[in-house]
Order: sequence, then structure tokens, then C-alpha cells
Amino acid sequence: MDGFTDTVMLSRVQFALTAMFHILWPVATIGVSLFLVFLEACWIKSGKDEYYRHARFWSRLFFLNFALGVATGIPLEFQFGTNWSAFSRAGGDFFGHMLGYEAAMAFMLEASFIGIMMFGWKRVSPQLHLFATSMVAFGASLSAFWIMVANSWMQTPAGGHFDEGKFIVTSHLSAIFNSDMAWSVPHMWAAALEISIFVVGGLSAWYLYKNRHTDFFLNSFKWAVLAAIIITPLQIWLGDGAGRGAYEHDPAKLAAFEAHWQTNPQGRGAPFIVIAWPDPEVQDNRWSIEIPNLLSLLTTHTLTGQVRGLREFPREDQPPVAIPFYAFRIMVAIGTALFLLMLWTLWVWRKGGLDAPRIARQKWLLRTWMAALPLSYFAMETGWVTKEMGRQPWVIHGLLRTGDAASRIPAGTVAASLAAFASVYTFLAVLFFVFAWRIIARGPDSQSEDAGSDANPGKE
Amino acid sequence: MEWLNAHIEQIWFLIIGFLVLYYAVADGLDLGVGIIALSTRDEERRAIMMASLQNIWQENQTWLVVLGGILFGAFPLFYSIALPAFYVPITVMIFGLIFRGLAFEFRDNSKGHSLWNLFFGLGSLVTAVSQGFTLGGIFYGIPMEGQTFTGTVWSWFHPYSALFTLGVISGYIMLGANYLILKTEGDIQQQGRHYASIAAFFTFIIAVAIYLWTIARHPYMAAKWLAMPGLLHVAAFPLLALFAFIMCLRSLRGRPEFAPFLWNVAFVFFAFIGLSVGFYPYIIPNMLTIKSAAVSSPKTLIFMLAVIIIVLPVILAYISYKHWVFRGKVGSGDYGE
Repeated sequence: MDGFTDTVMLSRVQFALTAMFHILWPVATIGVSLFLVFLEACWIKSGKDEYYRHARFWSRLFFLNFALGVATGIPLEFQFGTNWSAFSRAGGDFFGHMLGYEAAMAFMLEASFIGIMMFGWKRVSPQLHLFATSMVAFGASLSAFWIMVANSWMQTPAGGHFDEGKFIVTSHLSAIFNSDMAWSVPHMWAAALEISIFVVGGLSAWYLYKNRHTDFFLNSFKWAVLAAIIITPLQIWLGDGAGRGAYEHDPAKLAAFEAHWQTNPQGRGAPFIVIAWPDPEVQDNRWSIEIPNLLSLLTTHTLTGQVRGLREFPREDQPPVAIPFYAFRIMVAIGTALFLLMLWTLWVWRKGGLDAPRIARQKWLLRTWMAALPLSYFAMETGWVTKEMGRQPWVIHGLLRTGDAASRIPAGTVAASLAAFASVYTFLAVLFFVFAWRIIARGPDSQSEDAGSDANPGKE
Repeated sequence: MEWLNAHIEQIWFLIIGFLVLYYAVADGLDLGVGIIALSTRDEERRAIMMASLQNIWQENQTWLVVLGGILFGAFPLFYSIALPAFYVPITVMIFGLIFRGLAFEFRDNSKGHSLWNLFFGLGSLVTAVSQGFTLGGIFYGIPMEGQTFTGTVWSWFHPYSALFTLGVISGYIMLGANYLILKTEGDIQQQGRHYASIAAFFTFIIAVAIYLWTIARHPYMAAKWLAMPGLLHVAAFPLLALFAFIMCLRSLRGRPEFAPFLWNVAFVFFAFIGLSVGFYPYIIPNMLTIKSAAVSSPKTLIFMLAVIIIVLPVILAYISYKHWVFRGKVGSGDYGE
């Protein structure tokens, strides 16, 4: 990371802060909005008040996350221009369009129908309300799609060529369906769903642990477990695919996050390094604990497949190693733990431990679910650190270096805006916890309050 | 197809113009109501004012995000020159928008309202001021050499952009007041008529001053005003704007509730087009033409056009539907559920 001017370094820190803080909020909206679609549809179909109460309760958390997502998303779009003007100029032909598509197709859909979703309960029929919720859910996932397309193109740019410092698009389809996109779009989407599952499941576990509204939250807990049966193994499979994608299309990144310095010779497998002290100065690990042949097995699905080491790349093209290496391990460990938690819960369920009178005795299971909530967010953030630091020193891989991409703004100005963003984000985080706590402490509304005429799907 | 290839940049310039106008009217009325709310101490009035915006402010603000994305995609060179040049006002605007949004989300769920009231009012004012300096700075011209910005982080701060900012503030107040006439009743509506008339007066004077100053500053624009065929193009829209302005004032005196807002929109529309026609063919006056600011290949712009031509009408359709769902006057009880 040496060799960067202060302005570039400060702009990087500011962007990392903005992006890492922003992504905390939309992920839960992607999954919870789909959950709300499910709840409203069940309500209309069965007419059971229970579903309606669930929809109203979880939508409060959804709106809170949505509000913070909007507030923190605007800085992101403008920072491409204010702080990364050379990148904007070079990549605008494609990257700018993807942001434009996201805004016009997806975000606009969400921002418009959220008004009906929030304030339309008494103005539209339950069916139309469900339609509005579905549009918000569709918009949220579509938004993730375009943003991930834009990001994946920075990892494996395709569909054009670089000419006089500008990327000229020749095929939009090959730019959109670039090689990284195939894995990273579903990987991130599944991450959003997985986090939403552990938000719903983790909060439900807290209520069950506290013996509050047990019947109500036992249902949402079980729904979360059922969804986890599909999503937690799916995410491991997608993660494996994304890793093999990096092996094929972005070998320097793979070598960095595996701290794999030397290409394994023909006929001998590359070891998987569990922990290590990577040192770029000596172009090797000072020490490491290794499992023989496992890296070859994971990336090539053969025992002795060849995996290119970092030493094959010139020093100036190597990504940093230590941070991606450990970030990647944290992500994988959490992803695996969440899968095991799902299996443990199923086992308890099968033995009848999830029945209403007995659930509160499953102290350790419920505690683990509560811990899984922040851990799932942590896994996503470390995944992003792996991906974005692994792309360095490039901003558009192989085409434009990060050091050349920043705007020439005086370092003092960037430092001032960085300090302002940091304080505002701290304030936003405090606000979130204060209001989230209020929603949680209030709990779901009791039946009598909501059993008005507007809460009955049959009557119109 | 040949015609499309030759004119694609102009078509995109029109689309950008439409987005700027739509945003200026939609979020302008939003911000205007926010600024007006600063003047009231009555909690119930403020609650009604915020209720009039509660289901539209998100989408109105989203037009800015759409505009940003499309400018980035269609005119990357412009985007990469203008955004760093306006680093300070754009960053300040973002904070204004954040705090304003927070007020909408949290005021209703808090016991004390004063902090959120302040966020709502000041957030709106700060946003309007930043937009004034940014737009004014672009209309004045950005110091450039070739395709590089040569000014400092404070280059946008000068008398012209300050005057422009005053114009934006009074214009937003006028829109906001006319919107309140449309959406409210009784005292607030009466106050709306009062504010709209005062704001209209200032908006008009400042608009005329900006017109004259802009023409005097950019000789190529002055040339259009002095030569015969050019005069017809550039003078027609200001005249229509003048007509819309007079009609707006007339309707403010009488009973109509919808007409002041509609004439206000027409006034903004014609005044803005009049100024833009004068600018043509430049996107940054005297420095950067529309053609050179656009992306390198017309193919990209045509691909994007095909998408936007489908998406834009769909957006307008569902937004119209939503306005229909929430039609009619707002009362204080509307806030929340």
C-alpha cells in the first residue's frame, strides 16, 4: 500500500468506509422483503391474523433498514465522480450505465412502491398491497443484480477494449455477463438471503430465550430454519464456485487470499494454508500450518492440480496478502459454522426440542442463533474485503491502477470529508440501534389492536 | 439509423434535460416545503406539511440518483470533470439529504420532535443551497484547460453562483408553497398563497438577472440573441415563461387550487429550456461540447436509449398510479399509518 499519495489513500479509506457501511443495510432488505411477500401472500390465502401480525412486525425492521440504506447509498454513487474521476472517465461507458440502470430500473421501483407499502394499508386492497410489496422485493433483488454486475466487471473486465485511457464497449452482453459475474451475483444474493435468515432467526431466538411472545416467534424461528436448509449449503457451493472462478480468471487474487506464493510443481499438489504469517518482502510465508494437497483439491478438484503462486506476478501487480488471507478464512469459517448450526437445529427439531413448552430450555442453541446474527454480517464484510483488496493494485483489473484512478483533490479536503462521513455514520449507527431496540422492545402488536376491518383480507 | 447515429448525443442531452427538470420540480417542491417548515413554530402545521410529502419524497429524491447514474453513463467526461470541481457543495448536499431523510423516518417515532424538525428544515435548506451553487457554477463555466479542471476546490464560489443560489431557494419555496395550496386546506393553504406570491416576486427578478448575466458572460450566447434566426429560438421560451408566470400570479389571487402549481411548473419548464437552448451546443459553457462529453461510441448510447425508452414510461406510469392512490388533501392524522 506504499507508493500511494495521501489523496489516493484517503479517498480509498473514505470509499471503503462508505461502501462497507452502506452494504450493512440493503442486505437485510433484500431477504426480509421476500419474507414479507411470503407473509402477505399467506395472509391473503389463509386469512389468518397471525401472518398479518408477522408482516407488520417485520416490516418495521425492514423500513428501518431501508431508510439507512437510502441515506448511505447516495454518497456511494457520488463518490465515484467526486473522488474517482479518472475511473469515472475511463469506465463510465460501462460502469456508469450499470449504475444508471440500477437507479432507473430497480431503485426507482423500490422508492415508489415503498410509499404504498408504508402508508397504503388503508388505501389499497390487501392484494394491491401484496403487489406493492412484491415490487419492492423485486426492486431490491434487481438492484443487487446491477450493482454486482458493475462490480464484477471491475474484477474481470470484458466486452470491449481500453483505448487512450478509456474503456470502449463493443459488446454490452459480454460486458454484463463477464466471467466473475456468473458466480458473484448469486453469491452476494445468497449472502443477503442468508443474513436475512439469521436476522429473523436470531431475533426470534432472542424472544424465545426471554420467553416473550413464544408462540409468535416460534413460527418465525421455524421459517428461518427451513429457509436455512436451502440457503446455507447453497452458499457454500456458490462460494466454492466463486473461488474456482478466481482460480481461472483472477489467479493473483486467489494466490493472495490463499497466501500461495509458489506454483506447485507438476505432479505435486498445492497445500492449503490454514494460518500463516505472509511476508511480501521475502515473497513467502514466515511460518505456516498447512494441509497437503488440499488447495489443489479445492480449486481444481484434483489432488495435484496446478495452482499459480503469487511469485509468478511482478511485485507491482501483486495484491496485499495478509488482510485478504485472514478475511477469507473468517468468511469461510463463519459460512461453515452457519451450515453446522442449521444441522444442529434440525437435529433438535427432530427430537421435539422446538416445541413451544420445551424451546426455552434450548439455551445454547438459542444463544448460538443470536450470535449468528452479527456473525453473518461479519462474514459478508470479510468476503468483500477479500474481493476488493484481492483486486488491488487495480481498480479495473489489468487496465487501470487504483493509484491513477483518483481525483486530484487536496488531501486536506478529502480528510475533512472523510472525518465528516465518519462522524455522520457513527451517528447513523447509534440511531439505528436506538430505533431497532425500540422496535424489538415493543414487540409484535397484540391481536385485538389490529383486528380492525382493514386487517381482514376477506372484507373489502 | 444514420440519423440516430448523428443525433444520439442530442437525444441524450434532451433526456438529461428532462431528468434535471423533473428532479428540480419534484424534489424542488419537497425542499421548498422543508424550507417553509422552518418558518412555523406550530407542530401540527409542520406535521401536515411533512405528511404532504411522506409518500413522495423517496421517489422524488431518487430522480437525483437516476440523474447521477445516467450522467455518469452517458456523459462520463462531464461527470468526471464536474463532480470533483464541485466536491464541497456535492458533499455538503449529500449530508443535507441524509439528515432530511432521517427526519422523515424518525420524527414520527420519537417523543421529542425538535431535533428532527431542525434536520428537516435545515437539511432542505442546505440541500437547496448546495444545488444552487453547483448548478450556478456549471452555468457560469468551470475553469478548464483541454479536458482537465484547473480551478481549486472553491472555484464554484462567486457572485454569479450566489445569486443563482438565491434564485434556486426562492424557486423551491414558490414550488413548495404552490404544492401546499394543492394538498392542504384552511390556514396552511392561505399561508401557501401568501408565500407563493412573495417567492414568485423574488424568483422572477432573480431569473431575469441571471438571464442577462449569463448572456453577457458567454459571447456565443449573446450572438444568438443578436442575430435574426437565432433570436426566434432563444426568445420564444423566455416569452412563454413570462406568460406562465403571469398566469401563475393571476391564479394565486383567485380560488383555484391546482392552477398555481401547474403554471409554476410551466414557468420552470420554459425558463429552463430557454436558458439551455442558449447553451447549445455546450454542456459546460465555452469549454465542453455535448458531443465531446458523451461516451466514445454512439453504439453505447443507442443501447442505453433502447433500455431507457422502455423504462421511463413504466416509471411514469407507476408513479402516476401512486399519486392517484394518495390523491386529495392531507390532514394531520395522516402521518404515520
